[in-house]
Amino acid sequence: MWLRSVYLKTLRDYRVAILGWGIGMGLVVISPMASVGTLLTTPQARQQLVSLAASFAWNADVVAVDTIGGYATYKIGIFIFLIAVWPLLAGSRMLRGEEDRGSLDVLLSLPRRRVRVALEKVAAMWTALLSMGLLIGLLAFAGGQKFGGDFGLGGGLLFGVNLALLCAVVGGLALLISQFTSEGGPAAGWTAALLLPFIVLDMVHRVIPHTEWISRLSPVYYYNLSKPLVPSYGANVGAMIFLGALALVLSGAAVWLFSRRDVGDTVPLPRWLRLPEHRSSRALPVGDWSLRSVYTRSLGMTVRPAVWWTLGIAGFAAWMVVVVQQTEARLSTLFATSPTAASLIRNLGGGDANLNASFLSAIFVLLPLLLMAFAVTQVNHWAADEQDGRLDLVLTTPQSRLWVLLGRFAALGTATVAIGVVTLLASAVAAAATGLKLDLGNLAGATLGMIPLGLLVAAIGYLASGWLRTAADTGLLSFLLVIWFFISFIGPELKLPDATLRLSAFYYYGTPLVHGLELGPMLGVVAVSALALALGTLRFVRKDIAT
Amino acid sequence: MAAIIEVEGLTKSYGGKRGIVDVSFAVEEGEVFGFLGPNGAGKTTTIRLLMALLHADSGTARIAGLDCWKQSLELKRLIGYVPGEPSVDPNLTGGQILEYFAHLRGGVDQSYLEQLIQRFELDTSRKFRQYSTGNKRKVVLIQAFMHRPRLLILDEPTSGLDPLNQQEFDRMVREARDEGRTVFLSSHVLSEVEQLCSQVGIIREGRLVRVGGIADVKDIKRYEMAITFADAIPSETFMKLDGVVNVETFDHGHAVRLTMQGPADAVIKAAARYPVVSLTSHEPSLEDMFLHYYEANGSGAKEVHHVA
Repeated sequence: MWLRSVYLKTLRDYRVAILGWGIGMGLVVISPMASVGTLLTTPQARQQLVSLAASFAWNADVVAVDTIGGYATYKIGIFIFLIAVWPLLAGSRMLRGEEDRGSLDVLLSLPRRRVRVALEKVAAMWTALLSMGLLIGLLAFAGGQKFGGDFGLGGGLLFGVNLALLCAVVGGLALLISQFTSEGGPAAGWTAALLLPFIVLDMVHRVIPHTEWISRLSPVYYYNLSKPLVPSYGANVGAMIFLGALALVLSGAAVWLFSRRDVGDTVPLPRWLRLPEHRSSRALPVGDWSLRSVYTRSLGMTVRPAVWWTLGIAGFAAWMVVVVQQTEARLSTLFATSPTAASLIRNLGGGDANLNASFLSAIFVLLPLLLMAFAVTQVNHWAADEQDGRLDLVLTTPQSRLWVLLGRFAALGTATVAIGVVTLLASAVAAAATGLKLDLGNLAGATLGMIPLGLLVAAIGYLASGWLRTAADTGLLSFLLVIWFFISFIGPELKLPDATLRLSAFYYYGTPLVHGLELGPMLGVVAVSALALALGTLRFVRKDIAT
Repeated sequence: MAAIIEVEGLTKSYGGKRGIVDVSFAVEEGEVFGFLGPNGAGKTTTIRLLMALLHADSGTARIAGLDCWKQSLELKRLIGYVPGEPSVDPNLTGGQILEYFAHLRGGVDQSYLEQLIQRFELDTSRKFRQYSTGNKRKVVLIQAFMHRPRLLILDEPTSGLDPLNQQEFDRMVREARDEGRTVFLSSHVLSEVEQLCSQVGIIREGRLVRVGGIADVKDIKRYEMAITFADAIPSETFMKLDGVVNVETFDHGHAVRLTMQGPADAVIKAAARYPVVSLTSHEPSLEDMFLHYYEANGSGAKEVHHVA
């Protein structure tokens, strides 16, 4: 049944993502619902929470944040980027990926119009997004029911549909950009690069009065006009229709361009938009530093993504340092008047010995999560290289399998360490520039302590790739991250037993910004990473390659 | 001369699916060995076992006395390899790929590498993803030859090459042979094997069905004779004659096409009874032998089909 049309076949390819992304993002939505209940025990606490949220208004509109649905909507603001990752990748690879593999040539040799093929694929992506939205909506509703939310099933589903519409815009944009790029990767990169200013544009009107006209240039603004989890606010049907229409226009433009260009070629950009052509020399040796060994080659492949991730992680850390310094006074009041808020931050941030450090610590827990996500992308490349036969020729040179794997892992390790070190420097500089008092030793522990967690995820990924194909390996790691995140961020509020909390890798990261890095648990993480890597290596040196 | 490749009882399956079964053969040093078989017969599996990309279920494979699995690192210094489906980092240029593999092999003679690039007229400044199928093949061929290996293992090496580059490849294989190096060549381009190889192994459904010198293999081949007569002849004239496998009659009995195996004496004598306008015979080729081996019943038994 699933192979009867391009639409069904594409939808079949998305089935794992629908489940994984839908459930994963649904859990992300539930997370703040679980935590807010315990925050709102007294009127003073409610007031302080609203006051604190207002300090972070740049992040999202402060609407009914003292309700389950309002708080969840507010908290999801920062996760928009995360939620848009799947449509961004799917849109950029939808046609370009198939062209890369040559499978589109075969598909287009069938008696089927090119426009129809593209439209069926777009329709499959939209169906997948709606299915994900449905799952997210159902989980949001379930979360609301469990934690005392006042929104109904309709609100939950509209929330999911609103997310799906924004994702359809991102997917359509990625699809459109991919018509101008020769590979899917740059299309994904450019879309991500555009998404960032969209988020910032949306923030502008919340920070600077009378600038709503600027924010209207961003699709994120129209997404934020609907808050279906807040019954008193509801959904803005006009904004949702606008998002749907925008997705339609972007996808339509992409399909129109696709139907008029050569397969495998790009739509030419105007001359003034073209990058200067870099013509490689014909002369040998090329003299490229990255071609000297498996390690340097792997490092060369990792450099570009590592730079982007470094900018993201280190930039986020530095920005948070600045934000915490600016909200210091309000935090003091909250701590003094709201024991429950203090309790939440204590759970995440690890104590109130130092106010700024506690709050920053709660935010800094996101840093290892981001670094681990970077590790997942790199494991994905490793598994794909084996699966697609790109390791075959390397393994038929006098390089042992052991060194090939370790060379690749060492390159990933180098990038991970670099990200940790740059994050430390950026945070330290931000703290010094703003005058925020932080223990430098603890800051080093918090930033460098995420390195073993990144390596742990990488080692588990390398081990699993000994048996699993690329998609399954990446799916497993992503699922692991979501589960760990859920256990560590929600577990304490749900009073999960200590044995369960210990299942999460974040447990061993602890709260280094407050208490310093605990050497014992970190050595434990390093030991488990080493064991996983050793087992992964053992498997790799014995296994059949790419069968 | 000693055997450089020794394969004994090699068996490999993929879960429940067949790979190869009990394959045994030897390749002498300095010879060009052709490994023939249709798609899915087990050629690539055998080669991947030799290259230690797969681990055999049973049996042994040795190259230059070294166990292909246990001593793979040492033996890979001796080998140049072309995979059936070339796959390398698509974002590297041809030049970068060659330089990378030269480094992984501990360095190569740059002037020889330049020579190879010129012989194949490869533009090394283009990215691998931008190359045509033929140019991708050239890159992996050059990387296989560039360190002057003692043994070349080539999995369908000329697939996608144009005739001029195929000729260049043929010359390179002959030069390698003349220098005393060994070439193990899998192919289903039979004319290529016929021209280049001194020994041939035929693999079918995972089993090696024949190994021998090129001359030994030729004797089982079929060939075709086409005879045109001035008058129509009875359709049963050539049926049941010794050496005749199949008879097709054309032009209302004025012409016949005979598929032959063995001596043509009986056919010539039968044809001589009628006024012959022309008689042509196709030179036996390995294509015929190949088809013969992969007929549905797999036997070489005499079978006569009559097509009138």
